[in-house]
Amino acid sequence: MPDAPADLPEAASRRFESRAFTSGLTVPDFAACLQSGLRPVGFVQGFCVMQWSWYGMGSPYNRGLSPYGGGGGYSETYQCPHGYVSAEHRSWGRNYEQSWVEQAWSQGFGLAYGRMLEEATAVGAHGVIGVIDTSDRLSDLGVVEFHVRGTAVTVDGVPAPRGGQPWTTYLAGQRLTKLVEAGYAPVSVAAAVASVRVWAYCITEYLLGGGGSAWGGQQSSAEVTQVAAARTAARQLAREHVRAQLGGDSLHGAEMVVSEREVGEGDQEIQCLLRGNRVRRFKEFDPVAVPHPTVRLS
Amino acid sequence: MTDAPQDPSAAPEDLPKDLPEATSRRLAELEHGLFTSDLSVNEFLLIKEVGFHPLGLVMGSSIYHTGIQTRKWGQSQELTKLTEAMYNARELAMTRMEEEADQLGADGVVGVRLDVNYYEWGKDAAEFIAVGTAVKAESGVSHRNALGKPFTSDLSGQDFWTLMQTGYIPQGLVMGTCVYHIAHRGLGQTLGSAGQNVELPNFTQALYEAREMAMTRMQDEADRLEASGIVGVRLEEKSHQWGSHTIEFLSLGTAVTKTSDEVTLPVPTTIISLDN
Repeated sequence: MPDAPADLPEAASRRFESRAFTSGLTVPDFAACLQSGLRPVGFVQGFCVMQWSWYGMGSPYNRGLSPYGGGGGYSETYQCPHGYVSAEHRSWGRNYEQSWVEQAWSQGFGLAYGRMLEEATAVGAHGVIGVIDTSDRLSDLGVVEFHVRGTAVTVDGVPAPRGGQPWTTYLAGQRLTKLVEAGYAPVSVAAAVASVRVWAYCITEYLLGGGGSAWGGQQSSAEVTQVAAARTAARQLAREHVRAQLGGDSLHGAEMVVSEREVGEGDQEIQCLLRGNRVRRFKEFDPVAVPHPTVRLS
Repeated sequence: MTDAPQDPSAAPEDLPKDLPEATSRRLAELEHGLFTSDLSVNEFLLIKEVGFHPLGLVMGSSIYHTGIQTRKWGQSQELTKLTEAMYNARELAMTRMEEEADQLGADGVVGVRLDVNYYEWGKDAAEFIAVGTAVKAESGVSHRNALGKPFTSDLSGQDFWTLMQTGYIPQGLVMGTCVYHIAHRGLGQTLGSAGQNVELPNFTQALYEAREMAMTRMQDEADRLEASGIVGVRLEEKSHQWGSHTIEFLSLGTAVTKTSDEVTLPVPTTIISLDN
């Protein structure tokens, strides 16, 4: 492949010289892909191994910092209503956006995604369908590997692409066909992470520890407002990050994954991953044929 | 094998020497028209619909001692001995399964499962096993692959049917593997990058290279079968029993070729299920 980018591993360019196409599609998706005039040319992928600054000195990853210092972005401080109780008593708590985690994620994802696009460009693809992205922790602490892969395709009857990036989508098979039939064209995948850190103050700490009655009086069920606010913020931030990538297009088939990690007593880190397909209308909505009702006899 | 017409009762003598005796008895029975299969009823019907008949459940197995190989603590490298072991063992299991299928006069094997089992009695030894259902075309037209062997595929009955509609036929289950040792990071390196978000290019490259090698090897197999493509490519990662820094990258897929006949795919009907 003479015009393969220089920084692809040698094995990748060797692989693309082969006659046979490869496709990561299942057989039903493969059939649907041929049906809608797409031809798989190669399974393409990109990787990036990142070191995350979990415990970096420069990051406010440290309870000793002032509750009022802000790192930019979302931040909320909780003040204890009890006055001085003891030195261990958590008289203040804080929720804040960890923008450095978000940046590390988007850098890692972006590099892996970019490498997949390079492979796709090298095989002369118009687009990449059935994209899958994963990020896995490697054994060393704070080292995360991003892996983005998909099946590069060409569109029948369309001249080979000259410059420009291939389009990408998480969809494949009938789901993609239905979207295109409805008048939307895939533009790219869109994904972003929001990360919010919760430093619990006394009330949150006791509520999470199941000791609500000890400090709050009689009630046994109560909202843990600090955590609720952090989760709401994480979801909202993820949505804002993805919206910033859309440039006026629509997001289709969005999927949101919220996970949390306990860091200490009552302290946690909330991560919200939002991914979806950026799509653009290219023709009038054309409803699909009236469906035929069926009943299963088994 | 001779070209003379075969008397079914004489069949066991023609068996490859490395199949166990129990196999010959079982296969001889299958040749009298009884068939075994692990296909579901729907799969069975679909395979019949595209003109194939199941002949029997076929399998191959190999218990393989995977040796050890010294690794350098701070260097990422392929462990060629282990790669070879994983490769040979799977190849042996697959070949034995193909021999069983060949003995039944099959055109191919569908629904192949390729598993690795570890047993308590054999440290460092693993059983590689391949199981599938041998099928034969009812029209009598041979569908064997470019090497004259029965095709193999991990496609289900449904997938097999769908693939045949697209004008492609399976040629073989192809795989490539690469066992790779990922370097440990030195203390200096870890401290040097602490507190930063940085890419670790050595790691990226090592993992990239390992997976690409596995995929290239898979594609070489497809080229040998003169296939026009590979569908359903999967990349699997397993550490087996080697510890977390040694990883086997396995890529698997079904090599397919386009048949000469012109195919027009039927337009799917949109349906709405009235079941719950």
